Amino acid sequence: MKNRLRILRAEHSWSQADLAERLEVSRQSVNAIETGKFDPSLPLAFKLARLFNSPIESIFTDEE
Amino acid sequence: MPCIPATKAGRRYVYRLAPTMAIYLVFLFIAQWSFHHLHPTGFIVYVLAVLPALPLIGSLIVVGLYITEESDEFERSILVQSMLWGFGGTLAVTTIWGFLEDFAKAPHISTFYVYVFFWIFMGIAQPFIRMRYQ
Repeated sequence: MKNRLRILRAEHSWSQADLAERLEVSRQSVNAIETGKFDPSLPLAFKLARLFNSPIESIFTDEE
Repeated sequence: MPCIPATKAGRRYVYRLAPTMAIYLVFLFIAQWSFHHLHPTGFIVYVLAVLPALPLIGSLIVVGLYITEESDEFERSILVQSMLWGFGGTLAVTTIWGFLEDFAKAPHISTFYVYVFFWIFMGIAQPFIRMRYQ
């Protein structure tokens, strides 16, 4: 699943480690989600949406 | 032992597993020493024989607790996938070895090694699974 996490993270000047700390997950988790290799669960996707104050569908797209 | 992330659940896993392994060594020593020096008979033979297995079963419960408590779904997924490779690899090796024993007179391996094979396959699989996500 494609996503805009890298862009959103850059807009907030957060490193992967910063985002991982805010999400309470490992940096490897953030990297795997950001590169589209691991799809987050709905609760984690909602957490990301709240963190970036954006709707889920503006962060994730179901394109391969 | 496969590497466990430095999450709260990961730390709890290590704190639980370390005493389990220490108890295993103590129980193993007690069992071996008793069979060599006391030559037990009757029901106590079964108790002493099973004694070292109990902490090893405990270690599997510790892994189960880790999976239950780990809130990082990615890390949980890595461990569960590693365990599947552990199960699959162990089943493959023990099935092949079983036929080798039956038809090719291969030496008998104690079923205790099923536990060892599981950890070996799980440990080998984990870094490869992680690499897929990098």
